[in-house]
Amino acid sequence: MTSDEPSNESRPPCQQAARGFWSEAWRRFRSRKLSMAALGFVLFLVLVATFAPAIAGTKPVICRYKGTIYVPCLAYFDRTLEPVIFAKDKFRGTYPANLAEKDPESWAIWPLVFQDPYRSVRDNEWPGEPANPARDQGAPSSRNLFGTDQYGVDVFAKMVHGTTVALLVGFVSMGLAGTIGITIGATAGYCGGWVDMLASRLIEVVMCIPTLVLILALVAFVDKPSIWKTMAIIGLTGWTGIARLARAEFLRLRSSEFVMAARAAGAGPLRIMARHILPNALAPVLVPITFGIASAILIESSLSFLGFGPPPPSVSWGSLLNDARSNLQMWWLVVFPGVAIFLTVLSYNLVGEGLQEATDPRLREARK
Amino acid sequence: MRQRIGHQRHTTFPRQAVLSWRLPAVFPWTAAVMLLVGCGGDPDALEEMTPESTLESQGSAGQERLLEPFDPPPLDDLLGSATWIDRPVLDPLARLREEQAGEKVLATAAEALQMANDSAEANAKILSALGRLAEEGQADLSASVNRHIPADIGSTNPILISSTSEFDVLGLTGFGLFSFDHRMEPFALADAVVSWQTSADGLHDKIVLRDDLVWSDGEPITAHDVAFTFQVIMDPRVPVPAVRSGTDQLRWVEAYDDATLVFFHKEPFATNVWNINFPVLPKHVYETTWEDDPTLKDSSAHVRLEQQPVSGGPYEIVERTRGQQIVLKRRENWHTLNGEQVREKPFFEEIRFRIIEDPNTSLLALKAGEIDEMILVPEQWTTQTSGGDYYERNTKATALEWVSFHFGWNINTPYFSDRRVRRAMSYAFDHERMLEKLCYGLYEPATGSFHKTAWMATKKKLDPYRQDLDAAENLLDEAGWIDHDNDGIRDKEINGRFVPFEFSILTSNQPLRVAICTLLQESLDRIGVRVNVRPVEATVLQQFTLERKFEAYFGGWGTGTDPDTTENIWRTGAGRNFVGYSNPEVDRLYEEGRRELDRAKRAEKYARIQEILYDDQPYTWLYWRNSFYGFSKDLRGYVFSPRGPYNYSPGFSSLWKPADQ
Repeated sequence: MTSDEPSNESRPPCQQAARGFWSEAWRRFRSRKLSMAALGFVLFLVLVATFAPAIAGTKPVICRYKGTIYVPCLAYFDRTLEPVIFAKDKFRGTYPANLAEKDPESWAIWPLVFQDPYRSVRDNEWPGEPANPARDQGAPSSRNLFGTDQYGVDVFAKMVHGTTVALLVGFVSMGLAGTIGITIGATAGYCGGWVDMLASRLIEVVMCIPTLVLILALVAFVDKPSIWKTMAIIGLTGWTGIARLARAEFLRLRSSEFVMAARAAGAGPLRIMARHILPNALAPVLVPITFGIASAILIESSLSFLGFGPPPPSVSWGSLLNDARSNLQMWWLVVFPGVAIFLTVLSYNLVGEGLQEATDPRLREARK
Repeated sequence: MRQRIGHQRHTTFPRQAVLSWRLPAVFPWTAAVMLLVGCGGDPDALEEMTPESTLESQGSAGQERLLEPFDPPPLDDLLGSATWIDRPVLDPLARLREEQAGEKVLATAAEALQMANDSAEANAKILSALGRLAEEGQADLSASVNRHIPADIGSTNPILISSTSEFDVLGLTGFGLFSFDHRMEPFALADAVVSWQTSADGLHDKIVLRDDLVWSDGEPITAHDVAFTFQVIMDPRVPVPAVRSGTDQLRWVEAYDDATLVFFHKEPFATNVWNINFPVLPKHVYETTWEDDPTLKDSSAHVRLEQQPVSGGPYEIVERTRGQQIVLKRRENWHTLNGEQVREKPFFEEIRFRIIEDPNTSLLALKAGEIDEMILVPEQWTTQTSGGDYYERNTKATALEWVSFHFGWNINTPYFSDRRVRRAMSYAFDHERMLEKLCYGLYEPATGSFHKTAWMATKKKLDPYRQDLDAAENLLDEAGWIDHDNDGIRDKEINGRFVPFEFSILTSNQPLRVAICTLLQESLDRIGVRVNVRPVEATVLQQFTLERKFEAYFGGWGTGTDPDTTENIWRTGAGRNFVGYSNPEVDRLYEEGRRELDRAKRAEKYARIQEILYDDQPYTWLYWRNSFYGFSKDLRGYVFSPRGPYNYSPGFSSLWKPADQ
C-alpha cells in the first residue's frame, strides 16, 4: 500500500469512525483559514456568475406581460431565450417604458442594478434617469458603482457579467487540459515502453513552445473567434504539467500490490487505470489543475488585453484593462478589473496550495 | 503596411504635392483615394488598402509590355501643329503669402499660445495666428525640427514610394515638376519649371525646365532625367508599388533637349494633369545600374544608393537609423548655386524624423519636447491634451479633412442586394450616438464621397441619415424580411429556404472602430437583425475586401486630388468596388466626367453620381474625420487643407520657427 492509499490499516486505530482519504483531506483543508477564505471567494464568484443577469442588467428578472409570466433576463445567457413576444411588440430592447405602455397591468422584478454590460444606458431608459456619462467623465458614482468606460458602458455590469467568462475559462480550459493530460499521462505511465517514450517526447515538445506564442498562433487560425474557442485553445496548450504528474503517479502505482491484485483478478487495463489507479493518483494531479485554473484566467486576461480575446460585445476583465491602456486617467478602468483578476487568481492559488498541503502527507510530515 | 494616414508634408518640393499623400498605395494623383480601413480613431492604425493597381502591376510584371514603342515627332512639327495654352507656374509659398495678406488675423501669436484649444473659436484663432507664414527675417533659418512618423520607410528610392511615411520623407528629398494647392488646383512649381503649356487638343503637355537645378552630387537636373524615369517606371521588371498608377496613362515622355520636355497623352482626359506628376530619378546615377538590377534594391550599387541616395529636392538624407530616425539636412546647392541665391531658402536647416509606432508613446515624446508635432487621436485630443502638462510646451489645432468612413454592404449577398434593405440599415444605425459619444462630437456626418465644400459636390442638400427604427422596420418588411418562424430574428425565403438576417461585419481591430460596429450590432438587434462583429487584423480585412469575402465591413476613404479617383470605387467591376455596386448611369457619368474639360460641367456629372449613390446607399456613410495635430509652441505656419496640413503644396514647407526663441 502506498502512503496515498486510503486505508485504515496502515494507521494506528482511532477512536472515531474511520475517515476516508477525502474527508481527511477536507478536514485538513478546513483548518487552513486562508484557503477557506479563498474557497469562499471562489464560491462567491460562482454565485455572482450564476445570478449575473439578476444583479446587473436591463431586462426584467421576471415579469408578467399580457397575462403570461416571462423571464427575459435569461437572454443574457443565451440570446434565443428572450421571449419572442417582446420583439413582436417592438420593445426594441427597452423594457421599462414599453412594459408600462403596452400593458398597464404588467409588473416586473428588476435586476439590482439597472445597467447593461453590452451597451450604454440611454437617456430616460429608466424613467427619470439620464444616460450614462461617456468619455472620461464616468467616474464611479451611485449610479455607476465602478464608473463607466469611454463609451458610457457601466463597468460594474461588465465586471459582473465578465465573472462568467473568468470562471468558465478556468473550469472549461482546465477541464479540457485535465482530460487530455490525465489520458496521455495515464497511458504513458501505465503502458510504459515505446508508448511512454512517445508520449513523453510529445509532452516535451509541447512544453518547449512558449504558451502565449502558441496561443497567439492558434488564435490567428481560428475563423470565428469566440470565448469557447479561446478556452479550448488554452486547454489544448495547458495539459503538459498535468500529464507529467499523471504519468509519474501511474508509473509508480502500476506495480503496487493492489494493482497486481486487480490484474490477477482479471481486470482489463482500462478498468485498472480508471477504477483502481486513477482515484489514488488524483490528489497530486488536482493540485496543478487548480493552479492551472489561476493561470488560465491570467492567460485569458492577457489575450483580451492584447486584443485577441473573445469578440465584442462579450465582456471579460482583461478587455476592460485593454480599454484602460489608452485612457490611463480613467483609474477605475484599471483598479476594479485589476483587483478582481488579482483576487481571483490569488484565491485559486490559495485553494491549490491548501489542497496540496491537505493531500500530500510528505508536506504534512515536513511541517511537523 | 501600417501607416499613419495623412501625414504628408509637402515641401516645396514639387512633386510631392502631387501625391495625395495619404495613400500609400495609391499615388495620389491618380488614385488618390485610399481606403482607410478604420474609423477615425487612431491614425496609426489606419491601414491602407492595396489598390488594385498595385496588384495588377505586380501580377503583370515581366509578362506584358506596359509601354508601346513610340516615335515622337520632331519638336518643330509639334510646336507648329498645335495651339498651346499656358498653364500656371507658381511658387506655392508666395501664393499662400498673398492669400494670407488678405486675411484678417484673429489673434496675435502670443495670445494664441496662451489659449487652450477648447472651442471652435479658439481653434480658429490659433490657426489664424500660428498659421501665418514667416515674414522677412522672422524665421530662424538655422532651426531644426523633430517630426513624428509612425513607421519606418521601406526605401529611399522615390519611385518605390508607397507608404505615407515615405511620402513624408521623400517629399522633402525628391524632385518633381508639379504640385497642387489646398483647393486641389494643379500647377507647375516655379522652383523647377519655367513654363508649362498644354496643347489645345489636350494631347500634349510641354514643360521647360529651369537651368539652375542640380542633384545633391552637383550634376544638373535635366529633362532627360524625367524621360528616363518614365521609362524605368513603365518597365514591367521594376516593382513599382504606387507610382505607376496614373503614369501608365501616359503615351510617352520625350526630352527634346536638356530643358524641353513633352508629355504625350493617350486621350484628352481632364485627369491628364495628374498623370504627368511623378517622382524623378537621377539618370546619371541609375542609367548604369538599373538594367542589371531592375528591383532597384538588391545589387551592391543599389544598396549603397539606398543608404546614400542622390537627392533632387531641398533636403538630403544624411543619417538613417532603421526603426529609429531619419535625419535630413538642407541642401545648400538647392537654393544657392555658384554663389547666387536661386531659390528661397527652406526654413529648417535640419529635419529629424523620429519613428514612434505607439500613439501613447509619441504623445509622451511630444509632451517632453522630443518631437515637435504629431497626429493626435480623438481620445488624445479630447482627454489627454487639455492639461497644463500638455500646454506647457505645445498647442494643438484641428481642421476638416476629407476622410470619410462608412459601412460597406456587399450587394452580392442575399441581405444587401435590395436597396430598401441598405436604406433600412442606414435608418437603423444610431448615428447621433456615434457622433456624440463614440466620436466625442468632433466629427460631422457624411452623406457621400464628396464633401459638401468640394467643387464636385452636389448642390442639393442631402440630409444625413438619422436613426428612425420605424422607417427601418417598414423598409425591411417591404423587402420581405419578416420574422416568419418566431425566433425573434427576421428571415426571408430565398430559394425555398428561410434565411435568417444574421451577418458579420468586418473591421480592423481598433477600439473606436470596434465600438462603432458594436453600436451597429446594438442598433440592429433592436429590430430583429443579428450582427456579428469580427475585428480582424488590418491586412486580413484588406485581403477579405479585395476578395469580396465579406457581408459588410467598416472602412474609410481619403480623398484624391480629382473626383475621377473615385471611379475605381463605383464603376461596375472596378478594382476597389468591394461592395459590387453596379449602375450603368454611374459608369457613364464617370466616363463623361473624365472627357469633360470644363470644370463646371464636370462638377455636374460628379454631383449627379453623388445623388445616385445617396439614393442607392451602397454604403452607409458615417462621418468625416477631422485632422487633429499637436504642435510645439515653437512651430508656426501650419495651414490645413482637406488633405491635412502637409499633403499639398506648400504643406510642410510653410512651417517655420521664430528667430527670437
